[in-house]
Amino acid sequence: MKEIIDVTNLNFSWGNNHVLKDLNLNLKENELVSIIGINGAGKSTLLKCLNRILKPDSGEISIFGEELSDVDLIELSKHISYVPQSIRSNFSMDVFDVVLLGRRPHIQWMIAGEDREKVSKTLRYLNLEEFAFRRFDQLSGGERQRVIIAKAVAQDPAVYLFDEPTSDLDLKNQIEIMKRIKELISVPESPKSALIAIHDINIAARFSDRILLLHEGRIIADGTPQEVLTTKNIAEVFNVTSEIVNMHPNYIRIIIKDEINEKKTNRTVIL
Amino acid sequence: MDSISEKHIENGKTQFLMVLILGIITVFLSLFAMGQGSSSNLDMMSTINIILGLEAATELQSDIIWKLRFPRILMAIIGGAALAVAGSLMQGCLGNPLVSPLTLGVASGAALGAAFAIVLGVSVLPYSNLAIVANAFFFSLIVVAIIIQLGSLRSISAESYILVGIAITFISGAVVSTMQYFATDAQLSQLAHWSFGSLSRPDLIQVLAISIAVLGLMPTAMKWSWDLNALSIGGDEFAISTGVNPAETRRNMLILSAFMTSVVIAFTGLIGFVGLAAPHMSRLIIGNDYRKLIPCSAIFGAFLMVFADTLGRTLFAPIVIPVGIMLSIIGGPFFMYLLLANRGGKK
Repeated sequence: MKEIIDVTNLNFSWGNNHVLKDLNLNLKENELVSIIGINGAGKSTLLKCLNRILKPDSGEISIFGEELSDVDLIELSKHISYVPQSIRSNFSMDVFDVVLLGRRPHIQWMIAGEDREKVSKTLRYLNLEEFAFRRFDQLSGGERQRVIIAKAVAQDPAVYLFDEPTSDLDLKNQIEIMKRIKELISVPESPKSALIAIHDINIAARFSDRILLLHEGRIIADGTPQEVLTTKNIAEVFNVTSEIVNMHPNYIRIIIKDEINEKKTNRTVIL
Repeated sequence: MDSISEKHIENGKTQFLMVLILGIITVFLSLFAMGQGSSSNLDMMSTINIILGLEAATELQSDIIWKLRFPRILMAIIGGAALAVAGSLMQGCLGNPLVSPLTLGVASGAALGAAFAIVLGVSVLPYSNLAIVANAFFFSLIVVAIIIQLGSLRSISAESYILVGIAITFISGAVVSTMQYFATDAQLSQLAHWSFGSLSRPDLIQVLAISIAVLGLMPTAMKWSWDLNALSIGGDEFAISTGVNPAETRRNMLILSAFMTSVVIAFTGLIGFVGLAAPHMSRLIIGNDYRKLIPCSAIFGAFLMVFADTLGRTLFAPIVIPVGIMLSIIGGPFFMYLLLANRGGKK
């Protein structure tokens, strides 16, 4: 498989807090890769470095062999679409127009018929057609999250960067959205890939081709879900005991049991 | 074409029609306004006929139309349009609905310049009848220069721009207050009159020059519509992922809107409300798509300004109430009604 993104010795700090330390990774065509780790591990920071929202302290990032910082921002947005966890806005638009913003890198000023068609198809594909002419600010958190994902899909990039794409979704929509993402990157004629920062390790286990385990600024495990999601790795990173269950032929399930070494403090429950 | 695309096109046509109707109303209101005034028996039809060359005008009628009423109405249209567009650009690029063209301190700079000219007699164009205007414009350009410098700083946020604008407003206000403290009664009166905001000051040549500057800047504003859409709806990170450079967009739009504001208020004095209200009223009609919002704001701004000025000239004629005051008195309650009605204030 051809490489789309290659990251070498990436370092990033927030002040004195060294978040990413000599990090290396690559992303290949038709690959869905999940990044897991505790809060503050640097998952979102990594995604933002890959989309030039944040500027790394050092290291190299290349996309299709070209240095990321050399690529024009409009061109970059044709290659990469970043989906934040949520967006807050003081203004509003119809959902159709928000998704249409995904066509911004492809158009000059006027909207072409094919751009409208692309938005319509995307809305239908993600079961959002009933929301097309509702105001974005009047949607629920989960509905808004699906609209932002639709905007990224309409952008038609080679790489999707998702930051917690299922965090606001109900159980059915979590599965639904992940299936759609998986479908999108599995079309051989249209080679795409997705890098997803996610907390739900069962969703990661089910849909990922590869999982990166990020801990203390470094990737400490990189491989298939079966290789990375071991009770040992989970205990080391998340400080919890777990059990791996092979109840499905294609993917594993992880049952989280309890905290390891829970701090014994004289806590008082305040009601 | 599928049904969703068709509906989107239909919605666009409906919005275009609404903006067109507002434009036509504004044109008729302007023609009506041209026929209003106590100084002559020029009614609306005679005025239109004289403007179109269908009726011969006496020298007095010609002077009233071309030296008094036409420059005033054109100034109302252009001034209203410029301040409304400036307000919409600033609200969008700063992601803040509370922002108006006065927020960045441009108007305070202009007021400071006017105070220097009126109280101290210090002007960049001394001994000229344009001494106050030139000084107001020069000082507001200093504020524009500060904005340009701010824009060159790395990672300057939207909030920083607003806070610097507030600081400039306080500093300018303090200096103006100090000058007022030592000013004579006549100077105080002149300064207060300047700050009311009036459309009667610029002559036809000046209004035409302002029109050329404002109309020349409008296409530049329109060019940035998509960037403003992304920035106003999703903020910086969302904008970057859409191929928009938020810092560059913000800097360019603030310079553009500050310059538009300077050009107008140097001649008219302080007119604030239209720049805040017209963009919001326009959003209620056509939403937040800047490709439509910019022209709609321009037309709504022109409408509000002509309406307020006409009311100010006719309500207590022959006394003329300055447009800045009228705008706030009639526009304020109307604006509050529209916002509350749209947000479903009922429990």
